[in-house]
Amino acid sequence: MPAGRPPKTVLTLKVNGDSVELAVEPRTTLLEALRYTLRLTGSKQGCDKGDCGACTVLIDGTPTLACLTLAVECQGRAVTTIEGLARGPHVHPVQDAFDLCGALQCGFCQPGMMLSAAALLEANARPTRLQIREALSGNLCRCTGYKQIFDAVEVASGQREVAERDPRPTTGGES
Amino acid sequence: MLTLPPFTYHAPATVSEAVALLAEHRGDVKLLAGGTDLLPNMKHRLFTPAHLVGLRSVRGLAEIAEKDGAVRLGPMVSIARLARDPLVEQRLPSLQAAAQAIAGPQLRQMGTLGGNLCLDTRCVFYNQTAFWRLALGYCLKKDGTVCHVVKAGKRCVAAASNDTAPALLTLGARIRVAGPLGTRDVALADFYFADGVRNLGLQEDEVLTGIEVPSPEAGQRSGFQKLRVREAVDYPSLSVAVSSALDAGGNARWVRVAVSALGARPHLVGSLESLTGSKLTSAAVAEIGRIAHRQCHPLTNINIDPAWRRDLIPVLVKRAFETCRLARAS
Amino acid sequence: MKGHAVVGRRLRKLDGLKKATGEAKYADDLELPRMLHCKLLRSPHAHARIRRIDFTRCRAHPGVVEVLEGAELPARYGVIPWTPDEQALAADKARFVGDEVAAVAALDELAAEEALALIDVEWEVLPALVEPEQALAAGSPQIHEGKKHGNVSKHVGLSFGDVDAGFAASASVAEEDFFYAGSTHAAIEPHCALAQYDAEGNLTLWSSTQIPHYVHRELSRVLGLPETRVRVIQPFLGGAFGGKSDPFALEFVVAKLAMKTGRPVKCLLTREEVFFAHRGRHPMKMRFKVGLAKDGRIEAVDSKILIDGGAYSSFGLVTAYYSGQLLTGPYTFGSYRFDSTRVFTNKPPCGPKRGHGSVQPRFAFEVALDMAAEKLGLDPIEVRRRNFVGENVLTVNGQTITSNGFLQCLDAVEAASRWKERKGKLPYGRGLGVAGSMYISGTAYPLYPNELPQSGIQVKLDRSGKVTIFSGGSDIGQGLNSLPAYLIAEEIGCDPRDCHVVVSDTDLTPVDLGAYSSRGTYMIGAACLEAGQRLWAMLSEAVGAKWGCPGAAVEGALGTIRGPADGQQMSFREAVQLAEAKFGTLGATGSYRTQKLGGDYRGGTIGASPAYSFTAHVVEVRVDVETGVWKVERVWAAHDCGKALNPTLVEGQIEGSVYMGFGEAAMEEMTYLPSGLHAGPSLLDYRIPTSLDTPDIEATIVEPIDPGGPHGAKEAGEGPLHPVIPAIANALYDAVGVRLTALPFHPAKVLAALRAKAKHDGLAESAERGAC
Ligand SMILES: Cc1cc2nc3c(=O)[nH]c(=O)nc-3n(C[C@H](O)[C@H](O)[C@H](O)COP(=O)(O)OP(=O)(O)OC[C@H]3O[C@@H](n4cnc5c(N)ncnc54)[C@H](O)[C@@H]3O)c2cc1C
Ligand code: SF4
Ligand code: FES
Ligand code: FES
Repeated sequence: MPAGRPPKTVLTLKVNGDSVELAVEPRTTLLEALRYTLRLTGSKQGCDKGDCGACTVLIDGTPTLACLTLAVECQGRAVTTIEGLARGPHVHPVQDAFDLCGALQCGFCQPGMMLSAAALLEANARPTRLQIREALSGNLCRCTGYKQIFDAVEVASGQREVAERDPRPTTGGES
Repeated sequence: MLTLPPFTYHAPATVSEAVALLAEHRGDVKLLAGGTDLLPNMKHRLFTPAHLVGLRSVRGLAEIAEKDGAVRLGPMVSIARLARDPLVEQRLPSLQAAAQAIAGPQLRQMGTLGGNLCLDTRCVFYNQTAFWRLALGYCLKKDGTVCHVVKAGKRCVAAASNDTAPALLTLGARIRVAGPLGTRDVALADFYFADGVRNLGLQEDEVLTGIEVPSPEAGQRSGFQKLRVREAVDYPSLSVAVSSALDAGGNARWVRVAVSALGARPHLVGSLESLTGSKLTSAAVAEIGRIAHRQCHPLTNINIDPAWRRDLIPVLVKRAFETCRLARAS
Repeated sequence: MKGHAVVGRRLRKLDGLKKATGEAKYADDLELPRMLHCKLLRSPHAHARIRRIDFTRCRAHPGVVEVLEGAELPARYGVIPWTPDEQALAADKARFVGDEVAAVAALDELAAEEALALIDVEWEVLPALVEPEQALAAGSPQIHEGKKHGNVSKHVGLSFGDVDAGFAASASVAEEDFFYAGSTHAAIEPHCALAQYDAEGNLTLWSSTQIPHYVHRELSRVLGLPETRVRVIQPFLGGAFGGKSDPFALEFVVAKLAMKTGRPVKCLLTREEVFFAHRGRHPMKMRFKVGLAKDGRIEAVDSKILIDGGAYSSFGLVTAYYSGQLLTGPYTFGSYRFDSTRVFTNKPPCGPKRGHGSVQPRFAFEVALDMAAEKLGLDPIEVRRRNFVGENVLTVNGQTITSNGFLQCLDAVEAASRWKERKGKLPYGRGLGVAGSMYISGTAYPLYPNELPQSGIQVKLDRSGKVTIFSGGSDIGQGLNSLPAYLIAEEIGCDPRDCHVVVSDTDLTPVDLGAYSSRGTYMIGAACLEAGQRLWAMLSEAVGAKWGCPGAAVEGALGTIRGPADGQQMSFREAVQLAEAKFGTLGATGSYRTQKLGGDYRGGTIGASPAYSFTAHVVEVRVDVETGVWKVERVWAAHDCGKALNPTLVEGQIEGSVYMGFGEAAMEEMTYLPSGLHAGPSLLDYRIPTSLDTPDIEATIVEPIDPGGPHGAKEAGEGPLHPVIPAIANALYDAVGVRLTALPFHPAKVLAALRAKAKHDGLAESAERGAC
């Protein structure tokens, strides 16, 4: 950082369960802090101003756009990024279902999409198709046309079977 | 990335501390609520305040309660909470419908009612990056001298795009503002001006601290309609809120209609007194639509065909009445 | 023939969980020690000469490390070697608002951005030619001085058969003007490039490109480095759709700045800059004339197309050809003529977007076909069926069609949509429409003439049983990182999960030309089969020797190798060790070589493909006649992709294509102010459909086995986009009786058309009444 800017602040955040301390400029967004300071690059940037949802993370469990959140305002809050969605060595059922259903095309929108989906299922274990559409409507995907994403959320919530379940040795999260 | 310009951040714990900070840095300070409007605007260098005063830590600004004949809403109530709160659902159905139609799910969680009411006006020639506005040659509202919408215009006509404002206008809301000299109450109808540069009756060192909506009368109903290109995310191309109270015989005690997203302030449709005492038949509603249509003149301030937006005013008015919901007892 | 163990199954992608967990690294996820951040200074003028650039104030900024201007990278480049008209940083003049003119490398992004504002450029502003008609007008200045034909980028006029006689013999002729608005890819990942120049003089570029090979060549040429000193790596790519298939300024600039500073340099475009980089769908003004015989046979088709190219050539030469050459299926044309002119304008350059060059004329043609058929009282599906071009035939312009499942596609969507029961019987405001299309499955020829393979695969077999596959293919989301594992595993009997596919690194992987023209599955697939068969020959021979049976009697699937005798089996690992003992270290290569194809005339090879895919869509719409707002209730999409190697991935391509075409029909449009400034370069103002807008899509895969494709496979990534747009137009007509000929079909346009029709019908009615 070149000289002459307002000084950095030291913050403590709970990121994916870990307590981390970091120094940021006041102007640093949570997205920048995650990606470039903590190197948690799973959170993506597609517009940096609230239009696309690629930067979605969970703050205290709620889907939030990290590109419009100041890191300094996250002092003491719990942030979950895609890197923290898996439970230990087991991927989250949403992650497993997205993979099974082919929803991960380029994958760029998907960290944000999967976090929105996981938050939906946390609040509503068996959402309808319309509720799924609504919950994901702030996450743009340019590859899939969304259908395999909707299917994946239904698979993750046990409301749909896949035509063929390709097993993975590492996916203990199979639902 | 779209960088934010440098600033110093303050996190006051009380309204008076916030007001003091605003007064101290007058001329170079902005209030930050959810940030969903201010931060994109700062990334676009529409504002480059040296100080930001965050409202997040100020206590007592997020209440929703009905007492003393009014529903009281704190400015830090999130749009998402408005969209699902049972009291809002029962008492202020049009406000709830408006909240549900704002932006997308994440933005509704982040955005606040206060921020929504104080939303900056929007225009295709304004909500752009610093580079873009340089290439354009700037405009009256920011850094320039001409308006690109109304070429000879001396006034900015950027669109009021906040969806809760028309609903609250028709519900007769008042707002409370705290400043260095104490607090004052203003009718929401008097809060907005037809000047897109500064359409709010708010001083730089003032904080909006509360919204008061009179408890609905018996027979009061309200509805909201929004026209947008996509079913999520998009700001309104046109929004219409209606509210009325019917007496036991089904005759209107009063009717209020607001049309927004056209000019610099939400427009409370005038000349509706003639409907007092009559039934809101489809012919009456059509007449209201015609009155609203006559009073509104959309411009090319957003990139959606203005003639079409105007044409649809009567249709949205009709649908807003059709989808009106009765305010239920709390 | 043994059945498939892997092919045709709904397997996961090899890298799916990497993407699911955030582990996958995209270009901007990479960071190197001492890395600098680069920002590009762009022209605020649509057309202006650069008199002088002064960096004095800029260099004084405390964060600035280095600057760059056009004169330092003088070589011109372009993805098509015949039309190199781009320069990394414009040295003489800028040709659109957003054209790059200088660059800064600084300690962080904000410093770079602040420093840009301190570069002083003296401009001589020239008249901006924003519309193609302006650019063609006599006396207009040339956007590219020295070109032979004013502002014409490319003109193509070809004629097949006697078109005038065809129209004379037609019982029904439809003639109409159409406009296809420009649209853009809007991949969610913005372009990003990172360069490192090491002490030994090796340049490495990580870039969000879908054509690492062409970038490799152009980088070496423009930077003046031997190709052996340049390495291009494509990390995970966050969507492309054709938008990352040109060499881009940022790639050359970060490379040069890395060379100048000795430090790694990264440049990440903002979303606005992605709109300036563009290369999206060309706006086309099209006059189409279609003549049908009484029985519905297509006698003649004639088109005149004005293509708005934007400021540079990009793929424009090909676009001009494709706008005509790719229309000659799935129907037989009695005769055909097209005349296409691509014109330079002072706007961001257009290029290839999913369905390059042929989506626009397909829209016009499929609507005009309906118009002409209506006059004959023919059902839209029936007229398409009657004109079916067939299998193993030559089209009117000399393209060779191999397999063709178009009739099955039509049957499928007709049945699924209950067309026969419902067409024409839906209430006012609801309607059904159909359209068909054809697309290439790879182009026969590379972009630069050569005799070399277009795709290569190398495989290394480890004695552990691990299979490492080296593939130059560019995965842009379609699954090309997994395809080699599926196909090699099928050939050699290993478990695809034991494959590691090393991809898209010009130092490590064999050349593949890139992700364009829907060539990946067909060509990389062919290379995989060749390599796999070579390996299997060794494996089966070694195993056969052990079991005392001929190699041909040995079979392998999913990690188990079996012999002809009962219970005779061993693991894949054991088989590898037997073969390694017998033949030494194991490896093999495979390649796809260019076939001689296409018509014997100038341009006859453009549009020539080793195979073609076919698609039919039926769309159901519902129109709100008070507002003009319409919704697609459902899209039934049947696509002939030959053998579906992984149906889940094929369905994803069909659905994604339908979605993208729907967006173009409903809302997407690149709009410009009269000055040439993009009116809304953001994902808020350039709207792409959300999860609430996307239609319900029912994809059906039609699988005629193609004789040339790997296991009979053809493309699925681009073809299925085409029909949805004309099918929507035809459905809207069915619903409310208005023909929409200009995209996108904004509700405002629909309402205006409805009102015009009501007025017209009203007048006609009162005239009738007056008459009696
Ligand atoms: C992609 C996108 C789509 C959107 N779509 C819509 C839409 O459809 N409809 C809509 O209405 N909005 C929309 N918005 C805007 C925004 O999200 C909401 O209006 C939100 O409610 C704004 O609240 P906020 O708390 O985020 O405001 P902030 O950005 O924090 O503040 C906005 C302004 O209000 C001032 N302010 C905030 N609180 C106070 C207070 N208590 N006292 C005085 N001044 C205050 C701030 O200083 C600032 O000037 C959209 C935004 C985005 C990015
Ligand atoms: S209405 Fe005119 S003055 Fe206001 S923002 Fe738009 S162009 Fe600028
Ligand atoms: S990057 Fe945050 S919404 Fe697009
Ligand atoms: S998978 Fe590529 S943008 Fe969603």
